[in-house]
Amino acid sequence: MSARSIDPVSLGIMWDRLVSICDEGAATLIRTSFSTLVREGYDLSVMLFDAEGRMIAQSTKCIPVFIGTAPVTISHMLKRFPPDKLSPGDVVISNDPVIGTGHMYDIAVMRPVYDDATCIVGYTMSITHLPDIGGMGFSAAATELYHEGLRLPICKLVKAGVMEEMILDLIRLNVRVPEQVVGDIMAGVSCTEVVGRQLRDFMREYQLSSIGELSTLIRGQTERAVRTSLAAIPDAVYESAFDVEALGDPVRLACRIEKQGEEMRISFEGTGPCVRSGINVPICYSRSMALYSIKCLTTPNVPNNDGATAPITVSAPAGCILNAIAPAPSAGRHIIGHFVMPLIFAALAKAMPDRITADSGLINILTFQGRLRNGTPFAATYFAAGGFGALDGLDGHPTTPGSSNMACTPTEVFEDLTGMTILRKAIRPDSGGVGTYRGGPGQEIVMRNDTGYPIAVFSMANRTAFAARGADGGGPGALREHSIDGTPISPTGRHDLPAGGILTILEAGGGGFGAPAKRPRAAVLADVERGFLTPAGAKAGYGIDIATEAAQTGPHEIAS
Amino acid sequence: MTSGSSGVRIGVDIGGTFTDFALVVGEGRGAILHKQLTTPSDPSKAVLEGVATLLAKAACKAGDVAEIVHGTTLVTNALIERKGAVTGMLVTEGFRDLFDIGREQRYDLFDLRIEFAPPLVPRPLRREIPERIGVDGAVMTPLDEAAVLAAAKELVDRRKVEAIAVCYLHSYANAVHEARTKALIEAAYPHLSVSTSSDVFPYMREFERWTTTTVNAYAQPMLDRYLARLEAGLAALGFRGRLTLMSSSGGALTPATARQFPARMLESGPAAGVLMSCRLGRALAMPNVLSFDLGGTTAKGALVRDGRALRKYEFEAAHVYKHKSGSGLALRIPAIDLTEIGAGGGSIAEVDTLGLIRVGPGSAGADPGPVCYAQGGTAPTLTDANLTLGYLDAGYFLGGRMHLDPDGAARVLRSEIAGKLGIDLARAAWGIHDVTNENVARAFRMHAVERGFDYRSSAMVAFGGGGPLHGARIARKLRIPQVIFPVGAGVMSALGMLASRMAFEVARSLRRPLAEITPEIFVETFVGIEREAKEYLLAAGLTAGDIRLDRRVDMRYRGQGYELEVPLPDAPLADIHARLPELFAQRYRDVFHITLDEPLEIVSWKVEAVGPEPVLADVLADAAEISTGPAAKGTRKAWFPAAGGLIDCPVFDRYALKPGASVRGPALIEEHESTCLLDVDDVGTIDPSYNIRVDIAVAAGKGAA
Repeated sequence: MSARSIDPVSLGIMWDRLVSICDEGAATLIRTSFSTLVREGYDLSVMLFDAEGRMIAQSTKCIPVFIGTAPVTISHMLKRFPPDKLSPGDVVISNDPVIGTGHMYDIAVMRPVYDDATCIVGYTMSITHLPDIGGMGFSAAATELYHEGLRLPICKLVKAGVMEEMILDLIRLNVRVPEQVVGDIMAGVSCTEVVGRQLRDFMREYQLSSIGELSTLIRGQTERAVRTSLAAIPDAVYESAFDVEALGDPVRLACRIEKQGEEMRISFEGTGPCVRSGINVPICYSRSMALYSIKCLTTPNVPNNDGATAPITVSAPAGCILNAIAPAPSAGRHIIGHFVMPLIFAALAKAMPDRITADSGLINILTFQGRLRNGTPFAATYFAAGGFGALDGLDGHPTTPGSSNMACTPTEVFEDLTGMTILRKAIRPDSGGVGTYRGGPGQEIVMRNDTGYPIAVFSMANRTAFAARGADGGGPGALREHSIDGTPISPTGRHDLPAGGILTILEAGGGGFGAPAKRPRAAVLADVERGFLTPAGAKAGYGIDIATEAAQTGPHEIAS
Repeated sequence: MTSGSSGVRIGVDIGGTFTDFALVVGEGRGAILHKQLTTPSDPSKAVLEGVATLLAKAACKAGDVAEIVHGTTLVTNALIERKGAVTGMLVTEGFRDLFDIGREQRYDLFDLRIEFAPPLVPRPLRREIPERIGVDGAVMTPLDEAAVLAAAKELVDRRKVEAIAVCYLHSYANAVHEARTKALIEAAYPHLSVSTSSDVFPYMREFERWTTTTVNAYAQPMLDRYLARLEAGLAALGFRGRLTLMSSSGGALTPATARQFPARMLESGPAAGVLMSCRLGRALAMPNVLSFDLGGTTAKGALVRDGRALRKYEFEAAHVYKHKSGSGLALRIPAIDLTEIGAGGGSIAEVDTLGLIRVGPGSAGADPGPVCYAQGGTAPTLTDANLTLGYLDAGYFLGGRMHLDPDGAARVLRSEIAGKLGIDLARAAWGIHDVTNENVARAFRMHAVERGFDYRSSAMVAFGGGGPLHGARIARKLRIPQVIFPVGAGVMSALGMLASRMAFEVARSLRRPLAEITPEIFVETFVGIEREAKEYLLAAGLTAGDIRLDRRVDMRYRGQGYELEVPLPDAPLADIHARLPELFAQRYRDVFHITLDEPLEIVSWKVEAVGPEPVLADVLADAAEISTGPAAKGTRKAWFPAAGGLIDCPVFDRYALKPGASVRGPALIEEHESTCLLDVDDVGTIDPSYNIRVDIAVAAGKGAA
């Protein structure tokens, strides 16, 4: 079929098919992965590129960071291995944070797709978060990139169908759970093979010798949709800035958005410098978060590809905390990186007040290392969500993650994995910001170390000094707090939880939207009934008196 | 009184619009079919009227009826409309807010305005009870019985709850606290419905187990009342046989078991349709089947491997936001593994922001329905497209009971689709038709990939109002060689009820490294679960000799979070134990093409006790409809891109096609509730049971011709 015959009907069908091929690859990865983050949080992505290395389709399941990083990664891979240096059966990998996703846990597995022995018709790539990469473990404790684990340059893991055992040995020797890490890398190897095969099947089915024209149409159509939506935003320069905790002194994050016509330029100029801790953000991550934020506001339903990002440029001064340069450590780059979304929303609040959310309480990530009751070592990551920010017309959801999207491990599963006991997991009342639409409340989690051994707790929390801000007159959410046996501890860094010790985590609330005085009384009463507000909180936040007795059992008969 | 005995049997399926009936006499040749409007306020009314009508039509007495198998959407509807009982809940201390906290994940990464299903039990009706079972099943904190009684008293006396869900952590590992709690409440309030999470579905992961338990409790009083009315009504008609109820997994339950587990009654109609596909596949010696049902608002797909429908244990009911997966109630029940696609006759088509055609999941439903129904519908739908393409006869819809308005359909397709895209009317209508086919094909592909199912070697059974119209072309896209249009496609679920067997499944989480499972532990664990599963069938009057056991385990490499279900062969348990690594490796390779050198563990254990299969005649044609008239009805202008566009397409009367007859596509074969479409060079042959078996022409799969 010639490209001219690709009308809107055929284009839609073929386009969906390419996305579906990526989704099938992602489904396989999710099911086979050892990494908790992959299987619970979809910390993965699968992509298809045309023969020029331009991304044309991406799996629907992914997380924000993957919105913009893969095209950068593949361009570096193709610089290292141009088509004449590639052969059928080659698989190229790398976890270099600088050209990848910003930390070494994510491994990119890339495979050229050949129509016959000579001609590359496209490329497939999978990215997954590995269970371990050696170094100091998943924490922000490093002061240099070199502490954070094994950095694999762009290299061929498979050469013309033959596995480079040396590379696998190198990986096995450098990580804590070698079988699992290699298992997850191999899952990527088989995923890219399946996706490549499906691309060839697809081309055969539609009698295409190249996907170049299809790629042009897909990217063009997407770019047009994005441009149209950008054109609807008033031309202006939008700015925002706020301080965030950065393990030592606060660091300033700033952004400036120039919106002109159908294009947008986002700059993080004015942002403070990198710190000696693994929370620095390589530009690839900052850029992805920025693109993700704009996508949520403008074209949430448009599939992602290179066309979607063409009209938007993102920049940051080299060496600022949103453009970390090696060897600045970056394992916990999300701790700062998650603030890009509220930064951009705050800047665009004036332009799109009905689209943005107030700040969210964000997500807490804790890693536990210790021994089970039978002495076997374990390492487990635990995610706990703060409250979501309110929108115009919608209360913030309680305990809902943003900017990223990792699900909490169920209590029953977590206790099984760690030998710890979760004594309490409850809504944290009065933690959501007040407003016409209130912010989502955070939660209180109390866990006891019942293993009989000490447990090292690595925590990478934010929102411990700077609360989620409200929007349009809404109030801020509560701060995040950690304590061990009743004594407050720093929510970042490493802490020892002794046998029998109790760790208490209070999750941050989301910001409210609009003046609290406009919140209907019934909504305040319902919040008390749901445990989102105490009577004291209702009085302080909304000036509404509720008899203590009524509050404990609900003020009225239930209206379900 | 086994299902295998002869006698009159009746299948009844209550659907949203129609209640369908099918009656067979012993091994007799023809089924008698009946269809009448559902009576939403009291569905038993239509059932009782319909049974009476059906008996008259078949010249049988109610006293001759050995069995009535019944499927109902009662529980599904109660969840959607939130019309269940006022339900209370007792939970482990510290975990009252579990439902408000939720699963802590956004199901749509880009939509900031998603909503979640509100819990069935609001927080003021949840009470915390001091007690704690550990992950190993040990009692860490004893049950505070006084707290149980005080909470129950307050919930019943002050809050007027009719049902209570008892939900404690790790109760799948040790049910003692939940069982004791239930006993205490039942002693104090004998008429209260009490559901415990260890009874309802003893699986790890508290959010889903507890949600399922609240659904069970919430639906219990209503289902009990409904069944009481139905049983009384049937008794008044003179019925003295056995009443059974279809469950989500396709097994029939006794009324007593159904009353105990209403959560297992979700989506029982579609499950019955799949059972029929299984049966057809076995009868036609095609063990691997794609079951495809396209109805008014959605399409449903299921996979049949070796004659048996694949099942799942994750189930989502009553979506609250844009039909999106994640916005419903997340449940765990044994269910036939259906994938639901927002693509039915009423699905609305539009041009999206990318300038592409999208179909569904929004639906015009039955009211106002498609524009061509001329009942006030204004949005273009799949049915409007199919009418415009000439696939439907405006004068013979529902066998002529309804007249369609082709001009209205064309008008709206022009203005909403063709005009916006700058293409002609036929191309726009074709786009809607083809996009729908692609959506269904994609859903099947995805479903199959996730389950390691090779659909290219299987056959498709296409039914429901729209299944026969789309099946052949979807098969072409999937390169499936054969499609079957069964007789009675419009009442497949009612017929499927007649193919059901008594069955009950017990699934239990019990994670152990394989290395620690001795043959003794393996046997002992299974024997305990088997005893529990068999109990329900023995109580229904089956003998031990009638019961077959189907065992499966969920296994994985240690450290993985997802399990693979491994069906166990019918062999002595001790032998199976020795073969577990091999059985797992085989399954793993089938699905993922590799195996790993990692230790294994068993995560959960499943046993289904199954009763004997009913003897059901192969010939299920509606005897009353067979026509002796001419098969060819003439031609109609219809759009077949593979034949060059608009052609004069031969039209046939399905009721006049005799066994052995064959029809080569392009062709349209009309029956009352449906039209079968054969594309160019597809060859349909009428088999001895009046099914149309279609050999799909070389699956070139040129989806966009």
